[in-house]
Amino acid sequence: MIVVKQLVKSYNSNRVLHGIDHQQERREAVVLIGPSGCGKSTFLRCLNQLEIADSGTITIDGVTVQGGQAASSGVGVSPAFFSRVFGAKKVRTDPTPEQREQQRRLRMRAGMVFQSFNLFPHLTVLENVTEAPIVVKGMARTEADDLARQLLAKVDLDQKAYAYPSQLSGGQQQRVAIARALAMQPRVMLFDEPTSALDPELRDEVLRVMRNLAEEGMTMIVVTHEMQFARDMADRVVFFDGGLVAESGPPEQIFEAPVNARTREFVMRVGNGRA
Amino acid sequence: MSKQQGRAGLLRGSIFLFLLLGGAVVRTNAAADALQEIKQRGVLRWGADAEGGAPYTYPDPQKPDQIIGFEYDLAEALAAKLGVKAEMVQNQWDQLIPGLERGNFDIVLNGLEVTEENQQRNVLTQPYYVYAQQIVTRKGNRDITQMDDLRRKTVGVLSASAALRLIAKIDGVDMRVYPGNVEALRDLKAYRIEAAVMDLPIAVYYAKPDPALQFAGPSFASGYYAIGVRRKDSTLLAALNKAIQELAQDGTLERIYRKYNVWDEQQIGLKDFRPEQVVARKSISTLREWRKYLPPLLRAAVTTLELSIVAMTLAVVLGLVIVLLRLYGIAPLRWLAKAYVEVIRGTPLLIQLLMIYYGLAEMGIRLNAFCAAVLGLGMNYAASESENYRAGIQAIPSGQTEAALALGMNRWQLLRHVILPQALRLVIPPVTNDFIAMFKDSSIVSVITMVELTKEYGMLAMSTYDYLGLGLMTAGIYFGLSYPASILANRLERKLRYDRR
Repeated sequence: MIVVKQLVKSYNSNRVLHGIDHQQERREAVVLIGPSGCGKSTFLRCLNQLEIADSGTITIDGVTVQGGQAASSGVGVSPAFFSRVFGAKKVRTDPTPEQREQQRRLRMRAGMVFQSFNLFPHLTVLENVTEAPIVVKGMARTEADDLARQLLAKVDLDQKAYAYPSQLSGGQQQRVAIARALAMQPRVMLFDEPTSALDPELRDEVLRVMRNLAEEGMTMIVVTHEMQFARDMADRVVFFDGGLVAESGPPEQIFEAPVNARTREFVMRVGNGRA
Repeated sequence: MSKQQGRAGLLRGSIFLFLLLGGAVVRTNAAADALQEIKQRGVLRWGADAEGGAPYTYPDPQKPDQIIGFEYDLAEALAAKLGVKAEMVQNQWDQLIPGLERGNFDIVLNGLEVTEENQQRNVLTQPYYVYAQQIVTRKGNRDITQMDDLRRKTVGVLSASAALRLIAKIDGVDMRVYPGNVEALRDLKAYRIEAAVMDLPIAVYYAKPDPALQFAGPSFASGYYAIGVRRKDSTLLAALNKAIQELAQDGTLERIYRKYNVWDEQQIGLKDFRPEQVVARKSISTLREWRKYLPPLLRAAVTTLELSIVAMTLAVVLGLVIVLLRLYGIAPLRWLAKAYVEVIRGTPLLIQLLMIYYGLAEMGIRLNAFCAAVLGLGMNYAASESENYRAGIQAIPSGQTEAALALGMNRWQLLRHVILPQALRLVIPPVTNDFIAMFKDSSIVSVITMVELTKEYGMLAMSTYDYLGLGLMTAGIYFGLSYPASILANRLERKLRYDRR
């Protein structure tokens, strides 16, 4: 389902990912943990091409993208221009239309939920969910509305369909963001610290939704500091350290009998998820 | 009379301010006798405008820092008669009378026509020159030989001139008002107008030597130039009248006029001129007679409104294209868009307008005044609108872009459905500001013969000298149109707000 080989990513001279290998089965829920700056978020952002890896390959459900291509970013000056003018050593070109299309196909296989929700503030809750199916997939509005209502019911927000994001609490916004990502029917859901921006009393409602998803058999990768959540719902926990996978295994192994010294130290520090 | 005197619109404001400041400094020794003061000072200060003023008062083409002209020589001769030196004070032509009243100089000696308006609040000496009107057409034109032939023709005249008052009376004439006669002649050659009417000396100096132009018929509608003096300075008036009489009789006038090639037999009559008594009319209150003065102002306001709306529409659309090219375009287009914004912002609107109207005409692209004004204002404001948009687009958090890309949107969908809808809401206030600014800035287009609200105000004020009353009416119209625009924008902004809590 997901195969990542030797993924390397640097920002300028600072190497963040040192060659990550990762394999994941369909319906498997994986939680990434590790100290801050260890590369977990970068890994997740590489998976759906918000960051472009320097080398390595990513395959999700049959779509493969090679590292080393130029980013198909939304806004900004082309890196090729800067390279030419300022004489940067590594000349990157704008992605070709084919590369860009391939990146987009990979993205559409992965739904992303961000730490800061990133809902579209100018659209209602319902429109936030229907926008991408209508615009990207060309779905009819009535069909998109039906789908959106189902998904909003699933995250327990069907009564807020006509509210604007600014009228919702953080927990409600994050649940809308999950419904929005699900509306594109992704093969895998990526969660990038989905509860870190939330007050403790709002986290549970989001975690509950995620747990339900996992139980339904959604393939998921979750970056989080919620150890109890990791312990309860993860099929596998992956411990990142210094841009490498230090240890990977079932939650019982990672939290109760870690093999790696660094893992042990980390689990000692943050707790092993036992309430 | 002559003049580039226009440039009016934009200069008028600053000159008004200058006069206010100047007036505070100039001593107004109302009680003292002006003639005595001039003699004590040893200098006769005469007000004139040397810009585009040939052959009256103008910079010597050979030695540009030296003023010459038949009026310059006349001023020297008059001063000599009074036993003092002459000193010219440069003053915008259509502001000479206010300048005289403020005491910036002792007399106005600059093609001041003997009209009722000019004698309302000041007095005129006996005339020193007999002028007449001359129709100028392109070489080979046989349709126009007299004033009646101008019916249903496009005719250029100078603002606030005798020609304007004369031509305005013709039924069905399409009159274009120019800030200077030179511009009128240029448009005549560019086929924008069919004829130009101007004072004979100007026609002799500027049109006669031009092989592309011809005098159509004999000169007509003669009148007098005289020197303007403040009403209370009666001794000065008497002394000047005596001096002019003497200069006419001893042949000095003829000598001066022949030198500048403006002598004709009509001038002989000056020797025996006996001034008819002009009764001072009481000054006009345009506020009291608003029924007469408000309609032309309102008509001009419609022009201003049309111009602003069409130009702003162009600016808003063109600005969007520019900012999209600049942020998302491929390399050469991106640089072109940036260069456009920098060049347009870095050069004066006035020059852009003159280049579009007169400059393009020289290359064979003859836009009419309205199109040129819309294009000039629109292209100029497009640069600032694109900067407004740019600020708005860059204010959208990068998380929005990431969320849209993660949902599989391509760059166009991201822009169309996520970035622009949010950015456009953000730029409503600055764009409204620009619209209101343009509404007022549009007065600058009077330099390319558009008669809009400010120009109409200037023209009416010049013939009534009621700057205050007309000014209040004009300001009221501007305010009455721009205030609703800002209310409307506020309402729109509130309606489109999505962060209501």
